[in-house]
Amino acid sequence: MTTTAGPHQHASADDPRVMLDDQIGAFEPIPPYPPRTEREAEFYTLGDGEMFLNMGPQHPSTHGVLRVVLKLDGEKVVDLDPVLGYLHRGVEKLCENADYHQVISQVDPLEYISSLFCEWSPVMAFEKLLDVEVPRRAEYIRVLSGELNRIASHALFMGWFALDLGGLTPILWSFIERDEIVEMLAALTGQRMLFNYFRIGGVNGDLNHDFMSRLGDWMSRATGQIESNLTLLNENEIFVRRARGLGVIDTETALSMCMSGPNLRATGSPFDVRRAHPYSIYPELDFDIPTRSEGDSLARYLLRMEEIKQSLRIIDQCLHQMPDSPIMAKLPRLLRPRPGRAYAAIEGPRGQYATYAISDGTDQPFRMRIHDPSFIHLQSVGLLMKNNLIADTMAVMASLDPVMGGVDK
Amino acid sequence: MSDNDGAIERSTGAGSGEGSAGTALIVPGESALTAPIVVRNDLWTSAEGAAYDSGRESGVAHLAELAASDVSRRDDARWSGMLEVIPARADVVLDLLRANSLWPLLSGLACCAIEMMSAATSKNDMDRWGMFPFRASPRQADVLIVAGTLTTKMAGPLVRLWEQMPEPKWCVAMGDCTCSGGRYKRSYSTIEGIDRVMPVDVYIPGCPPRPEGLIYGMMKLQQLVKDRRGQWADRAIGPTVPPGV
Repeated sequence: MTTTAGPHQHASADDPRVMLDDQIGAFEPIPPYPPRTEREAEFYTLGDGEMFLNMGPQHPSTHGVLRVVLKLDGEKVVDLDPVLGYLHRGVEKLCENADYHQVISQVDPLEYISSLFCEWSPVMAFEKLLDVEVPRRAEYIRVLSGELNRIASHALFMGWFALDLGGLTPILWSFIERDEIVEMLAALTGQRMLFNYFRIGGVNGDLNHDFMSRLGDWMSRATGQIESNLTLLNENEIFVRRARGLGVIDTETALSMCMSGPNLRATGSPFDVRRAHPYSIYPELDFDIPTRSEGDSLARYLLRMEEIKQSLRIIDQCLHQMPDSPIMAKLPRLLRPRPGRAYAAIEGPRGQYATYAISDGTDQPFRMRIHDPSFIHLQSVGLLMKNNLIADTMAVMASLDPVMGGVDK
Repeated sequence: MSDNDGAIERSTGAGSGEGSAGTALIVPGESALTAPIVVRNDLWTSAEGAAYDSGRESGVAHLAELAASDVSRRDDARWSGMLEVIPARADVVLDLLRANSLWPLLSGLACCAIEMMSAATSKNDMDRWGMFPFRASPRQADVLIVAGTLTTKMAGPLVRLWEQMPEPKWCVAMGDCTCSGGRYKRSYSTIEGIDRVMPVDVYIPGCPPRPEGLIYGMMKLQQLVKDRRGQWADRAIGPTVPPGV
């Protein structure tokens, strides 16, 4: 890696080596190429008394490698420009060159905090293409492990949100929950984070004794533990007064920005894919869709904590109603679905995960498009952060809970 | 004060030569390393002219100047310059101190970062072995744990982070993606192993490795730091495949 000194030469924006060779320009707020769009030209023109501040890609609270260029007036954020692509791994292209079973391992690290949901929607889309019916026990195991993963994801959210508001203790507490759950899932799936557990037509392995004993042990004290975690923040006046009224968004704007999941439900709209477009065994289960009307950061936080309790209810029902049946449908090793298109959406911890797959009759998907809620939610940070202080911008972003692996794919 | 509206401007090498004239630092020619970063104050002027050093520009001594000069030319992080008088035995003691207070840089790239945080929090507490305080600034860190897939777009910033860290410094490649490319080896946008862009001391395979795996790797690094006894071979950048393989 050699660097070149001197003034920047205007390179083509399509040149992939721009960011690699020009290390000096990597952290400069102004890009080394001329503006490509009207919006870019408007943003990179400074008004009276304004200045640029570069944030990221290496920043402790950007939740990964997001880079944000802030335009500041004093300490107030006038405008901002997120720069994406620092974690672009080309997953969709890799999926087109992998056969249907291998796709599951490629999509795993997209949202690495809730990997099971990344597997779930492609697997469902492929099952629609192949027209297979999943055994009921496999569906119950999917819901059971998925809801556990949702709790782990929301528990981590609690710690990160508090960390970005300046509190260190909650993340230590939330990682206790998360570690217990992922160890439990590791007993079931064999991996702590990137589970690679769902298969087309079922799941990889049946419930085992190690998993069940860990789960029973944890369930007996989960409610109490989560309640005690919540006392750290819910009754903390500094936290509540800081998070209330921060980054308010109303339902119409949220819908026009394509928000889904907890971020949308925090504005009062009760949209949940599990109820609106039922899939798997969710119609048979009894659970509530919590909503809040405020639409601010505190509402988004409290809503996720409510969802943890609902997930515990779902897990309890799954354990009591678990049927006895095979865990895999009978399928050939080499899958060649008929030519066609399939779309499958599920409700993940961050919102609506969806996969749109096109088959051309071969053993590889012709095209796979992954709809990721993190990417969709990130487009509204410009709306939410405007006219906030610098210190609040990261708190607003943390309340949206984006994961950069899913944003950049 | 120039009329240039850029907030950060890189001055030429000639200017830095004048700034450090008369000191022990000799800056050989113009290069990207030696040119200091001069942050010009175009936005704000003090109300009182005599305040802040009477408005004079202070000489900027960048760490890269020191690294490029003869004073700390050797990459072995031993006492150097005027401190050469201290006996070489001091290096052994210093290495013992360094090994037991490794300060990693808080820079997570992807999935492995979550396991890195898990290794630092309650259940597996890395602090017990003296490797905890994750620093947010590369100036304060001496271990770079590259946790996650390195893409071509992130390679430049990461190498810059590595260059900003002061010697002595070590690099730990955490996860399959950073060791060899892992499951994204065939992708068009990733770098197949970070040893193509920076030297690596410890490789930790796994996708991602368990927190215990990271702690084991860091203990191996501690052993490495202790065992070198003041000696440090040049570390190569690039695929280190032995000839004939």
